[in-house]
Amino acid sequence: MADTLTPERAAERLCELSADVRAAVLLDAAGSLAAASDDARELGELARRLFEEVDRATRDWDTEPPEQLEVQVPGGAVFASRTPRWTLAAVAKRGALSSLMLYDLRALLRELEGGPPIRRSRSAEERAAGPATEEFAAEELPMPELGGDAPPDDGAPA
Amino acid sequence: MKEKRKGPISRAAGLAEGVAATVRRMQREREPRVLVYDPAGYARLVQPEARGHARIMEIAEQMVAQVEGRES
Repeated sequence: MADTLTPERAAERLCELSADVRAAVLLDAAGSLAAASDDARELGELARRLFEEVDRATRDWDTEPPEQLEVQVPGGAVFASRTPRWTLAAVAKRGALSSLMLYDLRALLRELEGGPPIRRSRSAEERAAGPATEEFAAEELPMPELGGDAPPDDGAPA
Repeated sequence: MKEKRKGPISRAAGLAEGVAATVRRMQREREPRVLVYDPAGYARLVQPEARGHARIMEIAEQMVAQVEGRES
């Protein structure tokens, strides 16, 4: 059974889920740092201020407060997602796909809120269990051999 | 409806158009910008001249710079 995601593990988990994430932080409802990947604790305060500024910029909009945000800057990108209890922010590589990043953020927050955990697909787990050899990889992805016995073609002229 | 291309030159031109469109789209996606998403997932752009845009960009740049500083 997969272990339950705790707030302390959330930031690290995001880095594991996406190779494009360079650092991540989780803030609680009060804006205090709950978890950080590696040594990214200093990002917590900036992430809190980021949503504050977004709320200020969008307060006159006739829409609900933003739940997620994406900021593309020359050296990379910042993605963040929030629920009433948590805010998860990530600094990502330049080419990170927005849709995937935002999906991962939302899925992790949902898991923190008690939703179903994110699991690797069965095929990925089975592959990880096998030996990491070229032969094993070839078995996993069988390629049709050219010039072999062709299957009978019904109705085709001889 | 998209017109079906005939002939190798026409098909090659179509391929090149597709590649160019992809490159343009990737460049556009990487332009500095601030996008916010409502709970339904609808995106809205914070216009560069909007109040707070510059501050948001500045904070995001600081976050990226901090990570770069750690990595180098």
